[in-house]
Amino acid sequence: MIETLNSIGISNGMITSTVITVLLVGISIFAGRRLQTVPSGLQNFMEWAIESLFNFFEGIMGSRACRQYFSLIATLFIYILIANYSGLLPGSGHVNGLDAPTGSINCTAAMAIVVFFATQIIGVKEHHGVSYFKHLAQPFVFLLPLMIIEEIVRPVSLTLRLYGNIFGEHTVTSSFFDLVPIGLPVVMQALSVLMGLVQALVFSLLAAIYIKEACPEEEHL
Amino acid sequence: MGLIALGAALAIGLATIGPGIGQGIAAAKALEGMARQPEAAGMLRTNMILSFAFMESLSIYGLLIAFLLFSKI
Repeated sequence: MIETLNSIGISNGMITSTVITVLLVGISIFAGRRLQTVPSGLQNFMEWAIESLFNFFEGIMGSRACRQYFSLIATLFIYILIANYSGLLPGSGHVNGLDAPTGSINCTAAMAIVVFFATQIIGVKEHHGVSYFKHLAQPFVFLLPLMIIEEIVRPVSLTLRLYGNIFGEHTVTSSFFDLVPIGLPVVMQALSVLMGLVQALVFSLLAAIYIKEACPEEEHL
Repeated sequence: MGLIALGAALAIGLATIGPGIGQGIAAAKALEGMARQPEAAGMLRTNMILSFAFMESLSIYGLLIAFLLFSKI
């Protein structure tokens, strides 16, 4: 079945990505089926995870913007984290139908483009009209080309950072495996656990900062 | 072919020098700040990781170029 999917152009990364999405949605629906005021078990764990994520992003974006756009950023974080860790499963990249989605430039580019357009749309919405784009000519008008280039470079650097890190990590691990098959790859894999978390954090943190910059300044009460 | 291999090695080798020095300076200063003001450690850590990511992306660009050259051999 996987061979037929591969033959019509659906790569292993896409299959893994779909499986991850279905798993995440399934677990979320299962945990939220019978909500209790005093949570226990799975609901307790999910609430703890979401709450600590929320507190973290609230410190960066401010409470109003975070409350409004938390779902996008938390989704990105959780998806990228699981996608990065799927590359650490045994046989990943060699077994049919299992490959880290973030190790492919298409997946990371798609997420970066979503973040780019979300930033522009949120900016227009928060400023009630196209006056948002005035910030491109903010200090001086002749900086306009530079500011436009800066806006366009953002999704490119988001794409290349995540893709390069995960792809590079896998390539380095496999070259280590060719050099010393015992011991050395395990060290690199242990490092990969940390790297996967940091990259997921960095991607969602940058998305949070871009969205926060698109929102008008919060008034301090 | 030999020149391409040399180019790939130089691309990743040179691309790691700058970010290496930069990350060293940033980590040293951030640790100094954390030691002086332990109550600001959380905020400093977040900003440190963020600035690391920016510096690291430079050497990742070098790594990508090295892989591109390597696939040409």
